[in-house]
Amino acid sequence: MKILVVDDDALAGEMTAAVLEDAGYGIVLAENAIEAMEKLNDEAGIALIVSDMNMPMVSGIDLFRDLREQGVDIPFILLTGDAPGPLKAAEPRLDDCLTKDFTLETSLIQSINAVMARRA
Amino acid sequence: MENRSPSLREKVKQLRRTFVDKLPGTLAEARRLCDLLVRVPSDDSTLDDLYRTFHSIKGTAASFGLLEISAEGAGGEQLVLQLQGLEGGSRGQQLSALLPGFQQRLERLEELWKLARQADESNSSPESPSFDLGKEGAKAASKKLFICDDDEAQAEILAAQLSCFGYGVTIFTSPDSMRAALLVAPPDAVIMDIVFPGGVNGTDVVANLHREMRAPPPVVFVSSRRDFEPRLRAVQAGGEAYFPKPVKAIELVEILDSLTLGQEPEPFRVLVVDDEPEVAAYHSFILEQVGMTTRLLHEPATILDVLAEFKPDLVLMDMYMPTCTGRDLSRLIRQVPEFISLPIVFLSSETNKVKQVSALRVGAEGFLTKPIQPEDLISAVAIRAERMRTLRSLMVRDSLTGLFNHTFMSQFLETSLASARRDDGMLCFVMIDVDHFKQVNDTYGHPAGDQVLVALARLLQQRLRNSDMVGRYGGEEFAVILQDIGTDEASRIVDDLRADFAKVRFTAGDGDFSCTFSAGIAGYPGKAQADLLLESADQALYVAKKSGRNQVQVAP
Repeated sequence: MKILVVDDDALAGEMTAAVLEDAGYGIVLAENAIEAMEKLNDEAGIALIVSDMNMPMVSGIDLFRDLREQGVDIPFILLTGDAPGPLKAAEPRLDDCLTKDFTLETSLIQSINAVMARRA
Repeated sequence: MENRSPSLREKVKQLRRTFVDKLPGTLAEARRLCDLLVRVPSDDSTLDDLYRTFHSIKGTAASFGLLEISAEGAGGEQLVLQLQGLEGGSRGQQLSALLPGFQQRLERLEELWKLARQADESNSSPESPSFDLGKEGAKAASKKLFICDDDEAQAEILAAQLSCFGYGVTIFTSPDSMRAALLVAPPDAVIMDIVFPGGVNGTDVVANLHREMRAPPPVVFVSSRRDFEPRLRAVQAGGEAYFPKPVKAIELVEILDSLTLGQEPEPFRVLVVDDEPEVAAYHSFILEQVGMTTRLLHEPATILDVLAEFKPDLVLMDMYMPTCTGRDLSRLIRQVPEFISLPIVFLSSETNKVKQVSALRVGAEGFLTKPIQPEDLISAVAIRAERMRTLRSLMVRDSLTGLFNHTFMSQFLETSLASARRDDGMLCFVMIDVDHFKQVNDTYGHPAGDQVLVALARLLQQRLRNSDMVGRYGGEEFAVILQDIGTDEASRIVDDLRADFAKVRFTAGDGDFSCTFSAGIAGYPGKAQADLLLESADQALYVAKKSGRNQVQVAP
């Protein structure tokens, strides 16, 4: 399964990618929302998006809303440096919202499993 | 090329390291954005960038389990949030209120960065020797070196040797990580390799630094190439020296010493004597502005004590004071042998040439007329103080090692003993003698012997505190006066030095060798007189020699 990882902080993106790669997923990286859109068009078979919230120009949540507006319904997990509560409340359609911390290794994989199970 | 994908653990560790390496650059960026915002508070995009910078520190650090760094990032983020939603004017006001907060966060982050870096380093090279004297004010702590070399193993060997001379060394394997760290907290000097993988050239990196920084630290290049071209490029890039590999630590230290000493000369010490506090304060303010250290004296009666304690390079004295004239006071000073060469400069509104000359006759170095232009005062003082220092160093220093000579050490021991008696204090006198020195000279020649003496001199000088006095007593014998510590602690310190000295490799011809020393220690108040201290330390040294050398003995 291929996952698109969107993060303007290359290091944070690599970190997320490392976790996912280790769990056996294929990774496509994008540094911002525009690039994410391009990758979605170019790369076939992206089954899930993991995006950072705080990015310049277009935030993670705006990317999510744009995608849904365009009818793109790929599962979307938002990563944030803050507590996820308010974002989940503001955008209940998000498949999941996780805090970036060093439990991400486990929490992200669990979240993906849960999201994919729900969607299946 | 085989490229095995590392396990997640390793990869995360690597990324964590990259994050830590890059943090200085990130912090520099945050500082830049803060400055920018101070200039144009209304710029929303700067504010957004600043927010994201802190936010990303918070988030990424948390991902790597660097919780304290993350917390500071979060703190910075909160500060930015307080600025959001404010208009230009009130944002400017709020910003100046918050600025110390930003500063504090950034400084704390820098501290945390250093800790994280140290943790990374101690993980990767557990055997790197400790060079912490464990004493406040140890000179060792103040000399920071960066080594940038892709050959980590070689860099570590060099670092271990340099650490024996009191340099705190941080190794970088890529020019980028070094550059980032350097922009945040410049070291005292950089040792730079020239050839890096991927065609990166050390000379280009340094040339760029010279463009980026106002005062880049001095750089010494090392390279396996011995030909002209890289040497030329090193000079053009602003390199201070060039060493073909393999580098001899001892030679490197010599250059590094001169480079790092040149950066921070001891500030001139000026005693300002004036019965009018405001005038004295004004003059001392001018001198302190340019980095001199001053002491004010309003009551001439205490001058001898102040001179003994403050040890000024120069006295700036008002000509007319109620209790005595400057003329009398300088005569009084000149009657104390210790101060016979101390420069005294008079400052007065006296324009009468005859009176000026009479002041000069009692040994004043110069006569300045009030009111004086700040620049004139500074240059008049600096020139004389500098000359005094040079002269004094010629009189009291040993020419080979630059250490204090026998005469000075004896004098200093008396002075220190006097002050220890007065303050109920302690002090230790240490005699050090290089083991089998004659054999070194006979086997490897006198230049090699000199190399050993110079190295020991450096080691002692750098690793001890500013308040400790190090002298060459003659031949291969050295003396150290350690103030305010007892014999137990002195013995521990000297033994650390002994162990480190034994690690230093010397080169002679094709081979190399190492040397050891023996030491004897005697302490006040146990031994109450100078000659008793000397004799006891000498006896303890004799015991150390008799019991097999390469050891430290304390007089019973």
